[in-house]
Amino acid sequence: MDARMREAVRYLGYGGHAVDEQTLALIEDSFRELDRAADRRIIYRIFDVISGKADSLAIGKMNIVSRNLRKNLRDCHEALLLGATLGIGVDLLMKRYSLMDMTRAVVLQAAAAALLEEYLDSCQKKIGSELEAEGKYLRPRFSPGYGDFDIRYQDMMLRMLHADKSIGLTMTDSYMLTPAKSVTAVIGISGKKDNCPMQGCEACKKKDCIYRRNT
Amino acid sequence: MIKDRLGKELLFFDGGMGTLLQERGLKPGELPEIWNIEHTEEIFDIHRKYFEAGSDIVLANTFGANALKFHSDEYDLEDIVTAAIVSAKEGANFGVHDGREVYVAMDVGPTGKLLKPMGDLSFEDAYAAFAETMRYGEEAGADLIHIETMSDTYEVKAAVLAAKECTKLPVFVTMIFDEKGKLLTGGDVPSVTAMLEGLRVDALGMNCGLGPEQMLPILDEVMKYTSLPVIVKPNAGLPKQKDGMTYYDVEPEAFAQTMKRVVDMGACVIGGCCGTTPEHIRAMTSACRELAVKEPVKKHRTIVSSYGKAVEIADKPVIIGERINPTGKKKLKKALKDHDMDYILKEAITQQEKGAHILDVNVGLPDINETAVMAETIKELQSVTSLPLQIDTVSIEAMEAAMRIYNGKPMINSVNGKQESMKQVFPLIQKYGGVVVGLTIDEDGIPDTAEGRLHIAEKIIAEAAKYGIDKKDIVIDVLAMTISSDAEGAKTTLEALKLVRETCGVRTVLGVSNISFGLPFRPAINSNFYTMAMQNGLSAGIVNPSSEDMMRSYDSFCALMGYDENFAHYIKQYGNRTAETKVANAPEASGMTLASAIEKGLKEEAHQITERLAGEMEPLDIINKELVPALDRVGKGFEQGTVFLPQLLMSAEAAKNAFAVIKERFTGEGTLEEDREKVILATVKGDIHDIGKNIVKVLLENYSFDVIDLGKDVPPERIVQKAVEDDVKLVGLSALMTTTVVSMEETIELLRKEKPDCLVMVGGAVLNQEYADMIGADFYGKDAMQSVYYAQKVFGRE
Repeated sequence: MDARMREAVRYLGYGGHAVDEQTLALIEDSFRELDRAADRRIIYRIFDVISGKADSLAIGKMNIVSRNLRKNLRDCHEALLLGATLGIGVDLLMKRYSLMDMTRAVVLQAAAAALLEEYLDSCQKKIGSELEAEGKYLRPRFSPGYGDFDIRYQDMMLRMLHADKSIGLTMTDSYMLTPAKSVTAVIGISGKKDNCPMQGCEACKKKDCIYRRNT
Repeated sequence: MIKDRLGKELLFFDGGMGTLLQERGLKPGELPEIWNIEHTEEIFDIHRKYFEAGSDIVLANTFGANALKFHSDEYDLEDIVTAAIVSAKEGANFGVHDGREVYVAMDVGPTGKLLKPMGDLSFEDAYAAFAETMRYGEEAGADLIHIETMSDTYEVKAAVLAAKECTKLPVFVTMIFDEKGKLLTGGDVPSVTAMLEGLRVDALGMNCGLGPEQMLPILDEVMKYTSLPVIVKPNAGLPKQKDGMTYYDVEPEAFAQTMKRVVDMGACVIGGCCGTTPEHIRAMTSACRELAVKEPVKKHRTIVSSYGKAVEIADKPVIIGERINPTGKKKLKKALKDHDMDYILKEAITQQEKGAHILDVNVGLPDINETAVMAETIKELQSVTSLPLQIDTVSIEAMEAAMRIYNGKPMINSVNGKQESMKQVFPLIQKYGGVVVGLTIDEDGIPDTAEGRLHIAEKIIAEAAKYGIDKKDIVIDVLAMTISSDAEGAKTTLEALKLVRETCGVRTVLGVSNISFGLPFRPAINSNFYTMAMQNGLSAGIVNPSSEDMMRSYDSFCALMGYDENFAHYIKQYGNRTAETKVANAPEASGMTLASAIEKGLKEEAHQITERLAGEMEPLDIINKELVPALDRVGKGFEQGTVFLPQLLMSAEAAKNAFAVIKERFTGEGTLEEDREKVILATVKGDIHDIGKNIVKVLLENYSFDVIDLGKDVPPERIVQKAVEDDVKLVGLSALMTTTVVSMEETIELLRKEKPDCLVMVGGAVLNQEYADMIGADFYGKDAMQSVYYAQKVFGRE
């Protein structure tokens, strides 16, 4: 099983359990369908980071109060803001399957989440290797809504990236990203190659979560 | 007047604004429109430079000046827009030294929000925001409205309607295409062009996204489809990234050289977008000013479109699916009366899967509000299918409502040769655009000769021309009447098809299956008549795509007439024909029980075994002895962590199939007719993710609850109103985000006040028991099965 299959299985709540053939086939098929329906796009920009008093910091013109993000960006003088999306076609496919075949809708949802993560990982790797040439290193992604990093910062991030115009990424009045399978994130850029292997999931304190990645 | 010069001489736009403002100190995330007031001199200076560089039209700095995007505590939108227009006019006064006539355009960019159904902005709210700012622009003295950088056809339609209805200014529209010629929302050149021409904009084209070189192939495509003057405003190349900053690197001279080719290909309004500067514009105007402009050439293609797809009605016939029409369809009638939108949507998806290219939509029933239902059905259909729709109604009010909110250029069914009909329908086509079906019937009825029908067709085409409606936007229906009442009927129809096609040069449409009304074994007649009609010039048959006979006729016709390259479609469709039939009876042989089919989640098998059991057992026995125990076992397994969500749902869907058979076979026998307990489900206001709610719905239905699904983003009032109206005792609410749990709390509060005997269960990613207690819910369901158990408890079914 490749990495994205494993992720999809994890999102479906299987934990460490074996997956039946029928579901596996469905996941594979969903990835095939997503390859056709998904229109992967990303936009990113690098901004200066200035740490303020207590838990405050500024990324470009955006003033933020968040202890968790500050910790994540420790020793970073720059940060990369990014927005990425699988596009509206995936939403339409989801809606269609929600009507015709709920099992498929659920599996597709998990596969799409895995695909988006895979896409972000590969983009991050590519950007990271470019920056490494300049002696700069990327931290793990950190998104609005993680810990005490308020989801409301999403608004400013989208504006700083012109995400609507460039990749068609917008949000609703309640700060939900549209298209639904999309991400915004902050990635710290550090001059030190400190080891930060902790990905989002393992860093979480909720150890009994059924979606937890097995490490 | 700019309209008089458009298409007759080359007109020059300005270049980028944002990039120049950033150079002068605008910060990312800062609203550029505020500079209209705080840095008037900079804005003025940029405009002046563009006029000096040779621009005939400059865009005022109003790109994001709409109430949805521009939020400021300090400045009024009206003042911002006025200041922008005034600066641009001033720029003209100081920057034009050769006395040429120049113009200031009100620049209208996107709202930055996604429209419903995928986003949360309503079409009407988008319209209102555009209308407001455009009024300010006209008031302040703008000469035209330029709607640009649009990537959503629906948003652009709202903007164009606002411009047309609320101002008297000319309307230019440019969209962003990517290198594949697609919009971010999936539309392509033919679909965008069809819609914009239908809406009668004055000029159309593309801006942003690409550099001049990359725009050439897309321009080529645009020129094939449009009859209007074309605008091209590229960026100074493709965006490049350095140190996390975006930049563009096509130099002014190179830009100008490519723009010469752009003019040569037929564009007549040119300019620049991101990364272009007054230097680019100066180079472009000097290189191109003396070039001869190519006048727009009229195109004659008959095209209908949706947001993502254009369908051309040309030599290869297209299929219009007839199934969404209640005439003679009991289940659809019931669905319309019960407001069962899911049924209608499934009908649409099935037709698409079976091969329809366009879907007819008729919701006319005597006791429903046709206008409201039509508008809602169109909106919902466009959230699940990208096929263009045919709005089929005799109500002018319903027709207009549907045309207004339709995303694309619809097909309209219909107008006829009666003066009254043409007087009502043509103005709508003129305003909203559309390809209209013209029925060959007039005040004197349906002529019984082919010549008579041709005569009416000619009358319709001539009358349409008075409204500026070209014959490419008319398809003629020469009407098929049943041969059981007129033995010559089919011959007349076929003759008329040929005559109209050859004499008028228009495309044709026909409701094919009317021909056999009153006869036995209708598929035989229908499918043969269908082939004959296509052979005689039928361009679009309105048929049932689920009818194998009809599809065989269609597929064979295409294969025979060379419309199916390498027989690819035919082979795909019929290549493994024999293999398929053998599989059918497999589960019978394997001796599987219904219970095990359900537990294994085998839909087909569950269906077939239930068919067999229905002949041997009482319905309630099948349910109580096979179905329910199987579901219970799966549910328990899910709870214990041995069965997982996909399997739970597969079993649920298998059970659903079994239930459907039982319902079909035993309806009306009394045993299954008892009232089922009603449960309302809704994703709360502000929340647009509904997968969790849909999972709960499938399971509750499995346990025979009558689920009233109110959908997503549902306001508290609507939920409460429905609970009161139907006296519902249990409501399930779903929310995904901390930002929307607030709406959940509001809904619960309102329910407590208006319907105190109603219980509330909640679920969703951000919720937990503590949170649920805090907002006053009666029950927190950590997974879908928990809500089933709770519902059973509430209704004393344990």
